Amino acid sequence: MLDLPVRPQSFGELYDSVVGVLNATSPEALAPLRETAIRQFRGFGLPTIKDEEFRYLDFRPIARTEWQAAYGSTLSRAQVEPLPLGDLDAPNLTFVNGEFAPELSRLDALPAGIRFGSLAEAIDEDPEAVLTLLGHLATLSGRLGSTNDERFTHLNTAFLADGAYVRVERGVELEVPLHVRFIQRADHGPLAAHPRLLLHLEPGATAKLVESYVGMAGSYLVNPVAEIELEECARLEHVRLQADSPGAFHIGAAYVRQARQSTYTSTVANFGADMHRHDLNVAVDGEYAETWLNGANVANGAQVMDNHTRLDHAQPNCVSFENYKTVLNDEARGVFNGKIFVYQDAQKTDAKQTNQALLLSPRAQMDTKPQLEIFADDVKCTHGATIGRLRDDARFYLMSRGIPRPEADALLVYAFTAEALERVSLPTVRAVLENALFDKLRKT
Amino acid sequence: MLEIRNLHARVEDKEILRGIDLTVRPGEVHAVMGPNGSGKSTLASILAGKGGYEITEGSATFQGKDLLELEPDERAGEGIFLAFQYPVEIPGVSNTYFLRAAVNAVRKYRGEPELSMTEFNRRLQEKASQMELEREMLSRSVNEGFSGGEKKRNEIFQMSVLEPKLAILDETDSGLDIDALKVVANGVNALRSPDRAFLVVTHYQRLLNYIVPDFVHVLMDGRIVRSGNKELALELEARGYGFIEESLAAAR
Repeated sequence: MLDLPVRPQSFGELYDSVVGVLNATSPEALAPLRETAIRQFRGFGLPTIKDEEFRYLDFRPIARTEWQAAYGSTLSRAQVEPLPLGDLDAPNLTFVNGEFAPELSRLDALPAGIRFGSLAEAIDEDPEAVLTLLGHLATLSGRLGSTNDERFTHLNTAFLADGAYVRVERGVELEVPLHVRFIQRADHGPLAAHPRLLLHLEPGATAKLVESYVGMAGSYLVNPVAEIELEECARLEHVRLQADSPGAFHIGAAYVRQARQSTYTSTVANFGADMHRHDLNVAVDGEYAETWLNGANVANGAQVMDNHTRLDHAQPNCVSFENYKTVLNDEARGVFNGKIFVYQDAQKTDAKQTNQALLLSPRAQMDTKPQLEIFADDVKCTHGATIGRLRDDARFYLMSRGIPRPEADALLVYAFTAEALERVSLPTVRAVLENALFDKLRKT
Repeated sequence: MLEIRNLHARVEDKEILRGIDLTVRPGEVHAVMGPNGSGKSTLASILAGKGGYEITEGSATFQGKDLLELEPDERAGEGIFLAFQYPVEIPGVSNTYFLRAAVNAVRKYRGEPELSMTEFNRRLQEKASQMELEREMLSRSVNEGFSGGEKKRNEIFQMSVLEPKLAILDETDSGLDIDALKVVANGVNALRSPDRAFLVVTHYQRLLNYIVPDFVHVLMDGRIVRSGNKELALELEARGYGFIEESLAAAR
């Protein structure tokens, strides 16, 4: 645990106070990455409503909070098991407040052909394999558009000392899912954690990754960054659950690079935190690749759920399907921004984007912005956005069969949202997500 | 069983039902016929509890209870079932899940214990084969992507699973070819019993060749203008609704 004499006022000051410890305790190669990143972050600072990419989020509560660097917290397996996905039968890497917790991880009986462990250790053992990717995937530089805003990725890198590292070797097809979980527990005052994940599937490798964020207590900021490299013919099913605590701020980003004939299937389920923001950036950089992006979001009270997705179709003959669902009650607010760039060379791209919101209260609000920029001429791109209320005819139909109104409404809302989970192929994972959705809707 | 007295109803400023009187006893099959816009479907919808109608006068009681005071789900609990003219598609909810929720909700309303999964599945399979319903339809989302005929068959299937005391069929024959019509009619006839009644709302006499009614009522302009036995339906088929209009005009 870091013992800080004064509570810093900004992330820049926080960096200054911990950089010595980070330099002393993490691989040498990370120091220059951190330095560059903090310089870039200082150039931006926290966003204001004038920053287009963050215009629906209010960062003043974050600016006012006296964050501490992530401190350690001791948890037992018995405390962890009841958490969502806590007893998933899968190898897992567990991080508490961003710090690797081997005692809570399950690393015995790992399948052959994979590397699954601490990022810092991987850098020590095989620096080249890690450092050619780390920080290089997590950038939009060189891509189309003028709206790149990576300040929170810089902030994450500025505090980068360890993380999760997953590599699946060429041709290895994993049946068992790999679980990387980040548990936040701010039981000694507000803390800011910056978890990091790097996943690399070599050519022809197949894997299922479950990434989960679960809060146990307190007010915290969690700012995770995931970097994912899919080589030729690799297939990844990626499930991401955000079940952070009330009072938490979750600002996350994932950067995916797909080579030819790879398949990336992403399902995000966002139910927790006061403020949620997730940026999912997928660069499809090879022909005949396939991309699925699905999202289930439920917010109540004064929660804000903001999802930004970005698909760069840079090569011809690729298909993508996107379907994000959002349910909002009370004064909750939802944001969806879906960018699809079809580059000039990307002929025969077939991209389909759908986002639908259900407003259960007259005070709930949804802002949605599909943003398609197409520079090729022989493509099929469609998008559809709907914002609505529960259908009276469907409700009456259910009630006319004997189902009371509250149950009828719950069933309709559940069915609306659960559709976004249909690409989760593992029954155990899907059941956990469906239960989490059901629980969340019951409270909503 | 069902007593409708001087029922008046309107939608916004338009009066649609203008004094309906109708008594249905257990075991009886009543056909309500009439031209388009006569108020047939409104009557069916009001009995099932659909919103959007204002009852301005009159009453409807079911087994002694004031029907108009009950929510749609309570009416289902009391034993009323409406086969919809336009069954609603509900993506994401499987037929099986939906029916199980419905059966158990109705049982709960009646103070009966829930059916076990095994019992429920047994009942479901039995009724499905009776209605010549493919198994695969049970796991599909309610009515989603069903053809017109499949939707109507699904309505009657739901009815056979829920075993209502009073079944109201709202233009169940519309859009059905003759084979589908027979399947639907067989499903209805299989449910006929001394303690169950049917109210069959239809525009055409055709359905009544297969579901033979005890009484036929002609609804025009929001009123029942004539009642008779099944011969009345045949007369309507032969002469059209015009002859009733003429005889009404002559009587004035």
